[in-house]
Amino acid sequence: MRAADALMRGAGGRTVLLRLPVPGIPSDANEQLGLAVPEFQDVELGPVVVRAVSSGKGTRELLVSATAVSAVVGSLGSSSASVLFATAFGVLLDEVLLEVVSATELEVGGVPYVYRVTVRVPAALVV
Amino acid sequence: MQNAKDTFYVTLRDRLATLNPARTMVVRGVTRPGSLVEENELTSAYQPVDAFCLRWAGLKVDARAALPLVTMECEVQYCTDGNASNGGMDRGRLLAAMDAELMAAVNQAPQNAVKEEFVTGTGSIALGTKVFWGDVVFGAAAVEGERLQRVATVTVLAYQEAGEL
Repeated sequence: MRAADALMRGAGGRTVLLRLPVPGIPSDANEQLGLAVPEFQDVELGPVVVRAVSSGKGTRELLVSATAVSAVVGSLGSSSASVLFATAFGVLLDEVLLEVVSATELEVGGVPYVYRVTVRVPAALVV
Repeated sequence: MQNAKDTFYVTLRDRLATLNPARTMVVRGVTRPGSLVEENELTSAYQPVDAFCLRWAGLKVDARAALPLVTMECEVQYCTDGNASNGGMDRGRLLAAMDAELMAAVNQAPQNAVKEEFVTGTGSIALGTKVFWGDVVFGAAAVEGERLQRVATVTVLAYQEAGEL
């Protein structure tokens, strides 16, 4: 994991913000009707390497350090990294909110060292 | 139109919850009745299993009368993977149970409700007209891997009152 982190830092690793909705309010009809907007919290992930994906227009691939992900999973009480990414509202990259499409882990000896997160640019920003 | 959509959803949600209080789901850490409106949730939310997901599709307005008559198509999507403890072999039974619950809730008399305007923080205000709906029409069940899913459609009608959004 340390080697992967060092490699990512050397390859221009940066930080991104993972935007997570806070838990809903029990029995709140306003949220169910779309009247109330949930609050969000941003957590920092880094080092992260951002790559363009040739196959998908407006799609980016983030290689995220497993060290950073495991720290966030532990501190927020998520059951796993897959749950963390599945419940995330998106990733903030240079003030642009990107939708999380998928997240897979790369592992060695059963221990993940990096997460490959595919994100999609909002349709309005695709050129 | 939005008031009619909200009223229909709240009525259907309450009827389904009465028929089967055990049908619940967890959305953003909160347990709530097992029905939601897709457009009212975060775009990142995935379709819940063993719950009803409402999507507003078609819309038609007949403006010839004094009050415009709005006709909307509500698609109700639901799916099940069966119980893992049963190897998923009960997925047909679980889908049939959801079919029966939806049919009972939608076709239950009266098939109308007083239209309400829901306001943030202050509950709801009853309006002067009602929301009506027809019988539920079931589409064919579709199989996607171990998942069994269906889309049912309900036609919802309401009069657009003066000054109403």
